Amino acid sequence: MEAHKNILTEPIIDMQNVSIRYGKDPEVLSDIKLSLEKGSFHFLTGKSGAGKTSLLSMMYLALKPSRGTLNVFGANVGYARREDMAMMRRKIGVVFQDFRLLEHLSAYDNVAVPLRVRGMGENEIRKRVKELLSWVELDKSMDKICSTLSGGEKQRVAIARAVINRPEILLADEPTGNVDDDIAFKLMKLFVELNKLGTTVVIATHSTDLIARYNYPQIHLENKGLKIIPALRRVKNAE
Amino acid sequence: MLNKLNIRRRTELPLKEDKANFFLEISTAISVFLFSMALVAYFMTSAVISSWRESIIDGLTVQILPPSEQILPDEETLRIGKVIHFFEGLSGVEKVAVVKEKQIKKLMTPWLGANADLEALPLPKLLNVRLSDGKTFDFEKAGDDLKEIAPYASIDNHGIWLKKLIKSATSLKSLSLFVLILVLSVAVFSILYAVGTSLKVHQNIIEILHIMGATDNYVAKQYALRGFFVGFFSSLAGTLMAFLALRIVSHLSSGLETGLIGAVSLGFEHWTVLALIPLFSAVLSMVTSFFCVKHTLKEMM
Repeated sequence: MEAHKNILTEPIIDMQNVSIRYGKDPEVLSDIKLSLEKGSFHFLTGKSGAGKTSLLSMMYLALKPSRGTLNVFGANVGYARREDMAMMRRKIGVVFQDFRLLEHLSAYDNVAVPLRVRGMGENEIRKRVKELLSWVELDKSMDKICSTLSGGEKQRVAIARAVINRPEILLADEPTGNVDDDIAFKLMKLFVELNKLGTTVVIATHSTDLIARYNYPQIHLENKGLKIIPALRRVKNAE
Repeated sequence: MLNKLNIRRRTELPLKEDKANFFLEISTAISVFLFSMALVAYFMTSAVISSWRESIIDGLTVQILPPSEQILPDEETLRIGKVIHFFEGLSGVEKVAVVKEKQIKKLMTPWLGANADLEALPLPKLLNVRLSDGKTFDFEKAGDDLKEIAPYASIDNHGIWLKKLIKSATSLKSLSLFVLILVLSVAVFSILYAVGTSLKVHQNIIEILHIMGATDNYVAKQYALRGFFVGFFSSLAGTLMAFLALRIVSHLSSGLETGLIGAVSLGFEHWTVLALIPLFSAVLSMVTSFFCVKHTLKEMM
């Protein structure tokens, strides 16, 4: 029973004394300690250059810490094999600030990538991608090449790609930055719904409106370190 | 409804549009052309060497010099009979036959002309000795023994000069083998270069694929598939060029009197090997691409 409890309460992302340094430059982040529980929702805040992207990169396993221990899904990333890293990444959805879509592919093919790398059948892929692209109101742009889409459309494709796999962790960098308020509200609603279904969500943002509107704690980066700012109030109309 | 949409699936890595493709296609076609020609040279020299070796083993010729003074026909028969008897007594000798005068004259005609009075010339008598097992036959000892019993006779062992020819041909064979290895290495290095360049060009896409959970195998398979098709079609062009070149060479050499190598030609098995080159090249290109990508990706992310 105790062991079962430990599994349930084990942090999904755990950083102990983690530091990040690029080459011989000074450390961007120093001695970070952070534990994210499964099913938690956090905003990631901090000034530009505070290390938000570096922290997110470590969380989606594109960057290994220069020092310290990073555990994701209970596995020490420092000792994980490449194949295991790929399997872990399949459980993480990422929305990049600059979208990082495959510009030569259609919206449909971009959203299908995470399913194809898992080896899912094309019929199932069609069903899922169609449903999600319709939901983000891109059903008429499915076969459009991404380079021809507007910024807002690209952002929705990027979000659809991040959530198509029903990830256990969703990491998003300014996900509502390029869309109008209606779409932004709809996308936030999607993140909240996913969170209710058990997905751990971390959203990096500069938007004080967004933070104020939703009642979630903040991971605030400052002076190469971080502090957790707890959720203070409940905004009833947030959802 | 979606099934009715015209969605054409494209691969995540736009390898078809790679600038290195053209370089790889041309270099593969040229490499395969050179490889095919070197392979044909290898096959031909092997066949020639084998044929020459067989002729050494098959037999030897004995030359009986004419007597310095006029002798009676019976004495002449005795001289020749002595040599025939000597060879018939040797183990490994299957048959001894006197070369007819008519044939000797025919052999001499190219040298002396059709109108030469061959009757007046003191032509040697020739014996053809067929051996059952030339490999074990001791030519040197037979020559020495013959000198003791019939100093006027000598073995004209064409093996001596054939051996020199074989040595030269073996060098040619080794050279063609070296060219084969060289061309193969160039082809492999071209693939490595093209794949390496492509990986750098598509690094951003590969990173995204990795973040989406793609394994190294997933990325490497796309390169391997592309490598297979580029390898196959470029090699097909190279092989066809080689076939055309061989046809031209064959046509040009058909009128030549090539006494030594005229009879040598490629067999069914050789043509089969040549025809399989595009497939071999495609597999080589596929395997090289796959492992090059796997190796390079280890350095990424």
